[in-house]
This record gives sequence, structure tokens and C-alpha cells, in this order.
Amino acid sequence: MAFAIEFFLRRISQGLVIVILVAFVIFTLLRVVPGDPIRIILGPMTPASVLEETAKNLGLRDPLLVQFGRFMGQVATGDLGRSFIRGVQGGSAGGSQDAKGYNPESRASVAELIGHALPYSLQLAALGVFFALLIAVPLGLAAGLRAGKWPDRLGLYVSSLFVSLPNIWVGVVLIFLLSAKTGLLPAIGYQGFAYTIIPAMVLAIELSPVMIRAISVSVAANLGEVYFDVGMVRGLSYRTMVGKHVLRNAAVPLLNLFGAQMIGMLLGGLFVVEYIFSYPGIGMLTINAVFQRDFPIIQAVAILASGALVAINMLVDFASTTIDRRLKF
Amino acid sequence: MKSTRRTFLAGASALGAGTLLIAAGTGRFGTAWAQDGKTLVFAAAGTVTSSWDPSSHTIAPQITAEALVFGRLTKCLMKPDNPGEILPDLALEWKVIDKFTLEYKLRQGVKFHDGKEFKAEDVKATYEYASQPSRPASAWYPGQVEVEIVDDYTVRLKTEKFGYPALNFWYVSAFLPILSAKDVADPNVLKQRPNGTGAFRYAETKGDQIVFKSNDTFYDGKPEIETLLWTYVPDANTRVLGLLNGQYHLTERLEPEQYESLKAQANIVTNSSLSSENKYLHFRCNKPPFDDVRVRLAAAHAIDRDQVLAVVGEAAKASSSHISPVKFGYVDVPNYPKYDPELCQKLLAEAGFPKGAGLPELEYITSVGFYPKTREYGELITAMLQEQGFPVKLTTLEPAAWEEQIYRRADGQGPGHIIDVGWITGSPEPDLVLRPNYHSKFALINGINDAEIDASLDKERNAGSTEERLKVLQEETLPLLAAKVPSLSLFSSVFLRAMSKNLEGAYFYPNGPIDLSKAKLS
Repeated sequence: MAFAIEFFLRRISQGLVIVILVAFVIFTLLRVVPGDPIRIILGPMTPASVLEETAKNLGLRDPLLVQFGRFMGQVATGDLGRSFIRGVQGGSAGGSQDAKGYNPESRASVAELIGHALPYSLQLAALGVFFALLIAVPLGLAAGLRAGKWPDRLGLYVSSLFVSLPNIWVGVVLIFLLSAKTGLLPAIGYQGFAYTIIPAMVLAIELSPVMIRAISVSVAANLGEVYFDVGMVRGLSYRTMVGKHVLRNAAVPLLNLFGAQMIGMLLGGLFVVEYIFSYPGIGMLTINAVFQRDFPIIQAVAILASGALVAINMLVDFASTTIDRRLKF
Repeated sequence: MKSTRRTFLAGASALGAGTLLIAAGTGRFGTAWAQDGKTLVFAAAGTVTSSWDPSSHTIAPQITAEALVFGRLTKCLMKPDNPGEILPDLALEWKVIDKFTLEYKLRQGVKFHDGKEFKAEDVKATYEYASQPSRPASAWYPGQVEVEIVDDYTVRLKTEKFGYPALNFWYVSAFLPILSAKDVADPNVLKQRPNGTGAFRYAETKGDQIVFKSNDTFYDGKPEIETLLWTYVPDANTRVLGLLNGQYHLTERLEPEQYESLKAQANIVTNSSLSSENKYLHFRCNKPPFDDVRVRLAAAHAIDRDQVLAVVGEAAKASSSHISPVKFGYVDVPNYPKYDPELCQKLLAEAGFPKGAGLPELEYITSVGFYPKTREYGELITAMLQEQGFPVKLTTLEPAAWEEQIYRRADGQGPGHIIDVGWITGSPEPDLVLRPNYHSKFALINGINDAEIDASLDKERNAGSTEERLKVLQEETLPLLAAKVPSLSLFSSVFLRAMSKNLEGAYFYPNGPIDLSKAKLS
């Protein structure tokens, strides 16, 4: 128990530093690259004087550190701010001016926008990981248990094939084959659970190669460990050794891989896949925000994404130490 | 259990089949979900704004959406063979009373979507509110205007107080949406939902989808399409795939390659039409070297527009004028700059830059991802200019960054030296293009400040009759712009669309809006 408390306290404080650093880098980059959001907020033909006045009122012309301090103060109170662009009904929007100039109250709350989009993304991510496991576990296990034989080669070939397919292309091909040509599944937007299936397949194709290799390598390595031979000599069956010992020990690298690599890949994949499929999740929200220079949304998503990565890595490390007491974090 | 190739393949096949069975069981089949014959799904390439007040923005996609909801005094189909033809909409008759007064007789028995009867008071409220210089869309108005109510169904537009002829509303009135006076009195209501007299009424917004319902009381009969789902789909490939799998019935702004490939699809009908948009290269005329007309002309003569057209393909039509062929006054100007390297070199030498020597590094800014082929023809034009000695570098930006670079700043200057911009406006009115771009009071992008151009623009605007105005435009204003090239119009855009073969009766306006009042889905 004391170990757990000490572990989480240390890791949370480290994580906070990482999240703040990420927030600062994103915040700075947004304001350094070309593309002043004020023109998009108010519309293309707004006089320069009105643009400047509104930008000043919004604090967009304050020194960077002042802006960042104000923003973090807001975040500390749980307020992620309001979108620059999207209206209260949440739709993507271009620039316009209310009768009394720019009114932030007419824009959507970032927390609400994220709250609305997140369940869709979680559903897609969960189904994507499920499909990836459906592909990777049988192939990876077979490859690990029969190292050097045809299942191992099959695992290698499938991994190599999947890893070299760009997800944009896979998405387009799957929509074309499973939706446009055969009408088996719907594909664009979201009207029900079925709309998640093809995008999840694309995610799975992106995620599974890493999983296949990790499982096969880890299982094969455990089969070569001394404890495996000792177990067999002591009369335990092959099935018992694999099912009770090898799989458990092989799970640690897979868990670490999930924390270190898979979540990053999943997030990146979500962005691309949601955009291709016009799927109304966090990825789509973020890409539109990038196109529209909607700083508050981009900043909030960056903070949440880095927070999620930190949290998941922390949980993975904790789970790993629980499984394998030799590990220390 | 020993696994073999056979057992593995059997297991994998069972797993795949199971997944597809689950999929088929959990959702309707992709091609069937929007095929009730009463619901039309339009995949739009652009977004609307957060305000439904038409005077609050100049955003083309929202103008397209608003055209479904709002009526206008008149209607211009803007067909290339007769761009100046005016048809009735909320007004049945219109006439010139004197130089500063136009009279409109209004249609009776028309109702707004909220049930209020349409009367002269609505025209007065709309025009006097939206033409105020503080409203962003006052850019569409020739100037401020007073509206006199003669009776409930007769109005007079009066412009004398503001110093320009009322004739300037002759075409523009086909583009200006009519709002309810009740809404104009409360801007907060105005921005929350659109309330017009058009064929479709606004129902709700669900994220990136806007729901419109047919207007039961539409003066020209209830549309057959009962529900219109206006869906924002930013990616062009997604729009095409959605059309192919039957989820969308209509989509717009296709790339030439997509358009070409869709032509071969049995279930799809393609549609292309000349738009009111021209694509321009604007020269920053208020800083060297393009403050010298000879350097601008030299650059114009360095560009072979035929090659540019070949690159853009079906999305472009040749035109040699600063306005589109669907605008009033269009003419292919005889003195429009043609590809002529010798003349280019002669002009450069006269300007003191023989073969380009001494010219500063020039930046050519263009966008990628909105207009077709901008990168490709940008690279081509850069090479052509470099060949003649212009030290040009091409900067390609995604739309948001590009939009921020287009317009001149508070100090009058804008970034770069050459800017690629498309300019699209409704109605055949040419001044919607000419004044904002070439009159020194505005010159939003190029910053031209030329007394001769100003005088010519004022002269055509102040003409006493359409005939006189046509003469001034074709014989003075457009040739003068060709001679001074504050910008070079490269071509007129052709809009490429595709739709389900079941959709009939849609009419596409050259500036984007679609008339679906007589459309049906079989």
C-alpha cells in the first residue's frame, strides 16, 4: 500500500510537469506559425482596425507568457474556455460578427464540445483495439509458439503487409469495397454503431503489426527461458506451462508496449481515420480546429491527450510491477 | 491442439464471416439509409458561421445555405447567354423612377416561416439594417440606402442622400436576402435561426449537420423534398465516397480527377457549370516593384494562361477580363495581356530591370486544399516568371494561414508580392468584384491607388442607364484594368458537382447556391 501511494504521488507530480510543458509548447507554436485566428473569427472582409481591436479585447496581442499564464489559470479552475469559431450549437463555423461585435458567449464551450465528441472516439478506439487483438493474439501466439515455422513466417508477412499500408489508403479502399461496392456497411459520419466498424478496421490494421511482433517475440523468448524447461521436466503439461506461465510473463512487454507506443499510435490513427470517415469524434474536432485556427480546442485536446498518455503509462507501469515484482519504477 | 494451415484458415474465415454478420446485424446497409425519396443529403465543402444573421458575414458556404431559406426581391439565373436576365421572386415588377429611385411592386400572400406575412416593412427593415457600413455584408450593397414604403406592397429604394444611382440595385437585389422586420428589431433572434420566405425552413443544427424542412406555405408550391440534410464534409474524397455508397445525394467542389472518374459511374450524374468566380493573381501595387505598372505588365506577359488552363482542366474556362462571363458587362477585352516574352523583356528593361536584374526576391503566396490545382499551376507560373528573370519563390499555405495573408493590414501593406485569390459573388452585378478590388477606397488585396481607375469605376457606377453603364464598362473600365493590371485574372472557374442519378430538377447558381424547390428524388 505504501509503495502504491509513493508510486502514484511521484508519477503524478512528474506527469503534471510533462502536461504543463506540452501545453506550453503547443500554446507557443500556435501563436508562432502563420495564421491569425482573428481573421477567421470575424470573417475575411473585416476592416483591419476592427480585427486589431477584437484581437486586443480577446487578449491575443498580449505577451505570450501573459496569455499562457491566463490560460493555465483558467484550466486550473476546470475552465477550458470557449471555441473561437464554433457556435453554441457546436457546428463548424466560419467568421461572422454579431450586431454588437464579437461575443464569446455565442461560441461553444470547449469542454462541452470535447464531452460530446469523446464517447464517439472512445467507442472507435475500443473497437479498433478489439479488432487489433482479434488479429494479433492468434497470429502472435502462433508465431511465438512455432518460432521459425510457417505461423512465424505468416505473422511476419502479415505484420509487414499491414505496416506498409497507409491508413488513408486503407480507409478509402475499405469504404469503396465494403460500403460503396457491396453495401455491406455504412461508412461516412455516424448514425449508429455500425458506422464504427469500418473505421475500427482501419485502426486495427494500423495497430496490429506492432502487437503481433510484440506477442510473438515475447512468447518465443519465454519458451526459451529456464523456468519453462524446468516446468516441463517437473511434469507440468505444455498447455499448462503456456497457459499459466508463458502468457502471464509475456503480458508484461505487451502492456509496456501498450503504454509507450500503442496509445500514441491510437491517438494519431484516430485523427486521420476520423477525418477520412467524417466521424464526429475528438480527431475530427481537432483537425477542423487546426484548419480553423481554433486555439482553445487545440490547446484543450493537447492537454487532455498528454494527460491521458501520462495516466495510461502510469497505470501500465503499476500493473507491470503488480505482475512482475522484480520491476521497479 | 496442433494448428495447421488448414485449421488456421478455417478459423480465420469463421472469424471474418462472424464479424461481417455482426456488422450487418447492427446497422442498416450502407446504401439504404437515406433512400426514402423524401430526404436529400447534401455534402457541403464549406462551413456556416455561428450567426444566422446574413448581414454578419461574407462566407460563401453560408450564402449557399441561406439561399434555401431566404427569398429575394428578384432572381437572376446568371446564364452565360443572358446573364442580365431578371426574374420575379418576392417582387413582381420593378422600374426606374428616376436616377436615385427604384420602385418594386411586391408579391402578396407570402409568409415568413414563422407565419408573419411578408410586406413592404420587411424590405425597408432589411435594406436599411444590412446596408449600414458597420455590417460585414454591407460589402454586397452599393452603399447605404433608404427605403420608402409607398403602401404595404410597394417600396422605393432611394439613394440620393448617399450620392450614387439607385440603378446599382438593379442586379444586386437578386442577391440580397429579405429578413423579417420583426427579427431585424431583435438582433439576438436574428442570429439564432434564419427565418425567411424560401422553399425550405430551418429546423435545427446537429453538430456539423443542418436540418432544413420543406416550407408548406412556399408561394411557388411545397417542395417535393421534405427534409434536406446539409452536411459539412471537409474532405473531398470522403464526399465522393459518400456519394458512391449512397449516403449523400449531392456534392460540390470536386477536383477535376474526381469529376472525371465519377463520369464513369452508372449511379452518378456529373454536372459542371461556369461560375461567377474568377481566379486572380493580385500584385501588391503599393510596394516595389509592382508599384510600377510596367513591371506588372511584364509579369502578366510572362504568363502563358493557356498552359495554366491545361493544368486546371475541367475546373477552368478561358476568359480575358477581370469579371466572369456570367456578370453584367463581361467582354473579352482586346488589350488583355497575352503571353509575350519579348514584350515582357522590353517592359522590364524600360522599368530599369533588364532581364530581371535588380529585382528584389518576390514571394508568390497561394493556398492548397480549397481551390483546384493551385499548387500545380502555382509552380508552373513560378517557373514562367523565373524564366523571364523574376526572382520568384512560391509559398503554399493551407487555407487558414493563406486567408490570414490575403488582405492588406492596418498599415496598408500585405505580405508577399503576388497573391492567388478567387473572388466569387452572387448576382450579375460587376461592382461586387470591381470596387472592393480596384477602387482605391478599398483595394482590399492589391492596394492599387490609381485616379484613372477610380474615375472610371465611379463613371460606370454613376451611369444613368444600363445601356450607358454597359458601354462604359466594356469600352473604358475593363480595358483600363487590362492596361494597368493591378491583378491578372487567370481564368473563370467552372464548378464541378456530382449527384445521385435519382435527383432531378436542381438548378445550380453560378455563385454556389442551389435551387431545390422543384427538385425530386425518384
